Amino acid sequence: MKSVREIALVVLPPIAFFLLVILVWQLVAQIGQIPKYVLPSPIAVGRAAWNGRSALCGAITLTGAGALCGFAASLIVGTLIAFSFSFSKLIKAGCYPYAVFLQTVPIVAIAPLIVVWFGYGFQSVALIAFIISLFPIITNATAGLTNVDRDLVDLFELHNASRWQVLFKLRVPAAVPYLVTGARISSGMAVIGAIVGEFFAGYGGMRDGLGYLIMDGTNQLKTDQLFAAVLASTTLGMAVFTLVNIVGATVLSRWYHA
Amino acid sequence: MKFHHWFVVAACALLAGCGRPVSEATPTAPVASTSNAKTPTPVSLMLNWYPEAEHGGYYAALVHGYFAEAGLDVTIIPGGPNAPVVQQAARGAVDFGVTNADNIVLARAQDARLKALLAPLANSPRCLLVHEESGIERFEQLQNVTMMMSREQGWARYLVAKLPLDGVKIVPNSASLAPFLADPRAAKQGYIISEPFVAEQEGAKVRSLLVADFGFNPYTSVLMTRDETISQRPELARKMIEASRRGWEKYLADPARANERIHELNREMSLEVLEFGAQAIKEHCIEPDVQGDNFGRMTSERWTTLVSQLEELKMLEPGVVDPASLFLAE
Repeated sequence: MKSVREIALVVLPPIAFFLLVILVWQLVAQIGQIPKYVLPSPIAVGRAAWNGRSALCGAITLTGAGALCGFAASLIVGTLIAFSFSFSKLIKAGCYPYAVFLQTVPIVAIAPLIVVWFGYGFQSVALIAFIISLFPIITNATAGLTNVDRDLVDLFELHNASRWQVLFKLRVPAAVPYLVTGARISSGMAVIGAIVGEFFAGYGGMRDGLGYLIMDGTNQLKTDQLFAAVLASTTLGMAVFTLVNIVGATVLSRWYHA
Repeated sequence: MKFHHWFVVAACALLAGCGRPVSEATPTAPVASTSNAKTPTPVSLMLNWYPEAEHGGYYAALVHGYFAEAGLDVTIIPGGPNAPVVQQAARGAVDFGVTNADNIVLARAQDARLKALLAPLANSPRCLLVHEESGIERFEQLQNVTMMMSREQGWARYLVAKLPLDGVKIVPNSASLAPFLADPRAAKQGYIISEPFVAEQEGAKVRSLLVADFGFNPYTSVLMTRDETISQRPELARKMIEASRRGWEKYLADPARANERIHELNREMSLEVLEFGAQAIKEHCIEPDVQGDNFGRMTSERWTTLVSQLEELKMLEPGVVDPASLFLAE
């Protein structure tokens, strides 16, 4: 059991820092008499968020669904690709450079093409989130699967373990912490990917994602609404990140207590 | 080594290119004789989009030396998607800006104190492109189509509010015409002075529905500045208005040289489409009988209509913006 003191040490510093930032921000906006279209005060942002709460909640749900679908797909596909990389040096040598290529693709340039290929709507939003979040999974899972202690591999081989046994009994357990790290990075990127996807693909109706709210705030010069939408986006990103951390910690503790 | 040599030259050219401002200084302008021959006043003018026909008059004033004759050394800064022209003009980071009337209203609601000075395009070129084969001739017939448009903008909200739009799917606008051309049941936003021509060039038969005809008609390519310019440098504002007005009148009569300059700056705009654009502006966006000092003049009725439309569309809190504050009544 953690003591109250320990918990307080974890929880209080970020809260204190948050309040400090808000305070400084409010003072700067107020004393500096900065026009609200340049920098709205935190109070104005809070008001905009409260007034637009139903739109924001709907947008978080929609964008979150797109991001989670893309993220889940990148977890599955990325892990499978990493398996094939760890299985054959030839496949890895042949394909890994293209995985790097994937990371350097400017998503805003290919997003319009994805819309042309796959149509407007949710599937394209999720696909863009998938593309942008795939690479960290591939690299981290590949690193985990291949960076196994050479002596342990020798030990397995000494006991005539099959390739599959080496994979599932040795490499996979070793790769899990790496995969969790990759998933942490990807979780935030998937949210960004979904928002970028919404800029280009939309949902084909009157349903608004966070991407639309951001464009709307920009277009109408409602910077407070823009900030509220950006805060909602980061909250969503942090929620996915936290989810990954909880799942990761649970999986890791099971794996390593066994 | 040959390759190495080539690379160095290319790098130098690139660096030199980067060093230049993304803009145009006044070229060989006929400098007026006496008073204006002293150091011209540097002035920046930021556009709301890449240089196109709807900015033609400002480029005409530049290439024909009207700004220079007024003692102004004008630098035109091209815009682009989400170019923060309203913010930059309101902060005074640029002296003047070009935007559409509805943006000035929205800006004023957010304490960005801007005023319209000149409205060269009295009628908005905003249109919706449909394929001829769709049989759609009026906005009311927009049914079971995919509308590619920026739904957050005032005119688009107006269409959504006023039309039944049964079975209509609204998707984000794309910079490219390709998705529209590929789908006979698509409708796409555009300016009547450019997109219809490009679509026809691509072999499509299209029809344009003017949003202005349907009732939403903000002044377009409006010259604007912040309130401080008018109160503190009224002479500068006056000179800028007059030179721009001359530029627009020249552009409507003879757009060739301004179009060449626009084409140099924005290769996407061919000389043919710019020529079409200048003609289309005359045909659709200008009141034919308005000339001289009355060209580009605005009326409080038009601004009042726009404000009440934006209020009705819930883009504006009622009573926040006074229509009289939005433009300079000369």
